Amino acid sequence: MTKKGNKFSLFLGCTIPLKMPQLEKAFRDVASILGVELKEMEGVSCCPEPVSLQSLNIDTWLTLGARNLAIAEKMGLDVLTICSGCYETLKTVSVLLGEDPEHLKKINEILKKINYEYTGKITVYHFVEILTQPEWLEKMKSLTIKPLDDLNLAVHYGCHLIRPSKIMRFDHPEKPEKIDLILQTLGAKTIDFANKLECCGYCARLQEEIGEKLVEDKMTELCELEEEVDALIAVCPACVTQYDRKEKIIARRTGKELNIPVLYLPEIMAIALGVALEDLNLSTRSVKPNKLIEKLTT
Amino acid sequence: MSEMIKKNVNDLDLNFRYEIAKKIGAKSLLKCIQCGVCSSGCTVTEYVDLQPHRVVASCLLGLKEEVLSSKAIWTCSLCHRCTERCPKNVDYSFILALLRNMAAREGKIPKEYSSTVEVIYDNGFVVPYTEGMKKNIDRRRERMGLPEIVPPNLDDIRFIINETGLGDLIIKKEDDK
Repeated sequence: MTKKGNKFSLFLGCTIPLKMPQLEKAFRDVASILGVELKEMEGVSCCPEPVSLQSLNIDTWLTLGARNLAIAEKMGLDVLTICSGCYETLKTVSVLLGEDPEHLKKINEILKKINYEYTGKITVYHFVEILTQPEWLEKMKSLTIKPLDDLNLAVHYGCHLIRPSKIMRFDHPEKPEKIDLILQTLGAKTIDFANKLECCGYCARLQEEIGEKLVEDKMTELCELEEEVDALIAVCPACVTQYDRKEKIIARRTGKELNIPVLYLPEIMAIALGVALEDLNLSTRSVKPNKLIEKLTT
Repeated sequence: MSEMIKKNVNDLDLNFRYEIAKKIGAKSLLKCIQCGVCSSGCTVTEYVDLQPHRVVASCLLGLKEEVLSSKAIWTCSLCHRCTERCPKNVDYSFILALLRNMAAREGKIPKEYSSTVEVIYDNGFVVPYTEGMKKNIDRRRERMGLPEIVPPNLDDIRFIINETGLGDLIIKKEDDK
C-alpha cells in the first residue's frame, strides 16, 4: 500500500504477549481493520531488553538482537515492533551493526555456529512510524466509526521511542508529534503540557522513589490543568504499567486525587475503529477508564 | 554532592580514557568540554553521587576505581536526554553502558540487573515462561483468540550468552552463593 509496504514480520517481545496480552489483542484488531498484514515470527527471543542486558554486556545484547533480526531477514520482511523497548533494541542493533561492518562480522561468526546470519537487509519500524504515513492516516480517518471528538488526551512519548534521535530517527526529539497526529486523526484533542517529554522512571531500577517522583509530577500537572484530561496515552508496556500502578500508590500516600486512566495507543484506536469495548479488557487497569467510556458511549 | 577526592597522581589510571574511547561508539568521550548540559537535563540528576559531566570528567582524569564503584552509573534511567542534547555529540548513554559492562566484569552488578539475565537464560524471554506460568499464559492467550507462542530454542540463547562472555558472570554469581 505505501512505499514501506503493508506486510511486516511482527515482533511482539515478551512483556506484551506474556504479561499484557490485552495490549497485543488491541494492536492486532487495529492492524486487521486497517489492513496491515502481519506475519508471526517463530522462535524469536527477548529483543533483548535494552536496560539490563546492554548494561552487562553490549556484545550479548547485540548478538541476541541480531539473531532476532536474522529471523525476520529469512522471512524477507521488515520488522514491526509494538513495544518501545523492543524498538530501541532492534533499531539500535540494526543501526550500530550497519555502521560497523567489522563488528557485524564478529557477531556473525557467533551466529553462524547456530545457523543464523544477519546481513542488515531489513528495516526496523515502530507501528506509529508506519501508521502516520499519509495513506494510513487517510484510511484510518475513513474507517473511524466512533470518533474521539469529545476527548481531551495527553500523550506520553516515552524516552526510547524518540531518543537518541541520531539512532532512532523516529520524530523530532524535543517536539515529537506522531502520536498526537494519530489521535487528532481519530477526532481527539491532544494537549501540550510541561512534563510531556519527561521519563516515566520505570528503568531507574535502583531507587523506586525516582519513578514515583516522576509519575507524581506528571500526573499532578495533568490533574491540575484547567481542562479535564480524559486519559494519558502511551505506546510502551513499561510506561503504561508504571503510570497505571504508581498513580494509585501515590494517591494513597499523598491524599492527592490522581485518577487519570492510562491507555495503550492501540486500545484507544481500537475503540475509535469500532472494536467492542468488552473485547479490550480495559477493566484490568488499576485506574478504570469508566468516565472515558461513559463519554464515548453517550 | 560527593566528597572531594584527594589522590596522588601516580594512583590515577591515565589509560582509562583510552580504554573506553577505543570501543565503538565511545570515541566521543574525548570531545567533552565539561559544559554540563548533560547534567542539567538529566532525569536522575538529584539522585546521583556523580552527575553525568562529573562521571565523564572522572573518566578523563583516570579515576577508574571511583567511577566503576559509583552508584551513579547504575542509577541512570537511560532516558538518553544527555546524548540527545550534548553540543559535542558525546554519546553519554552508550559510554555509561560501557562503564556498566566494565563494572560488571569486575563482578559489581546490582541484583536488579543480574536477575533479568538469569530469567532470559532460563526462558529465552524476560518473563518466566515454563510449566505453570506457561500454562496460565497460554490459556489466557487462547481465551483472547491470540496465536500460540513459539519460543526460541534455548540452546541457541544460552550459546550466545556463553559465547559473548555473559555466561561467566552467571556462573561466577552462582559460585559466590
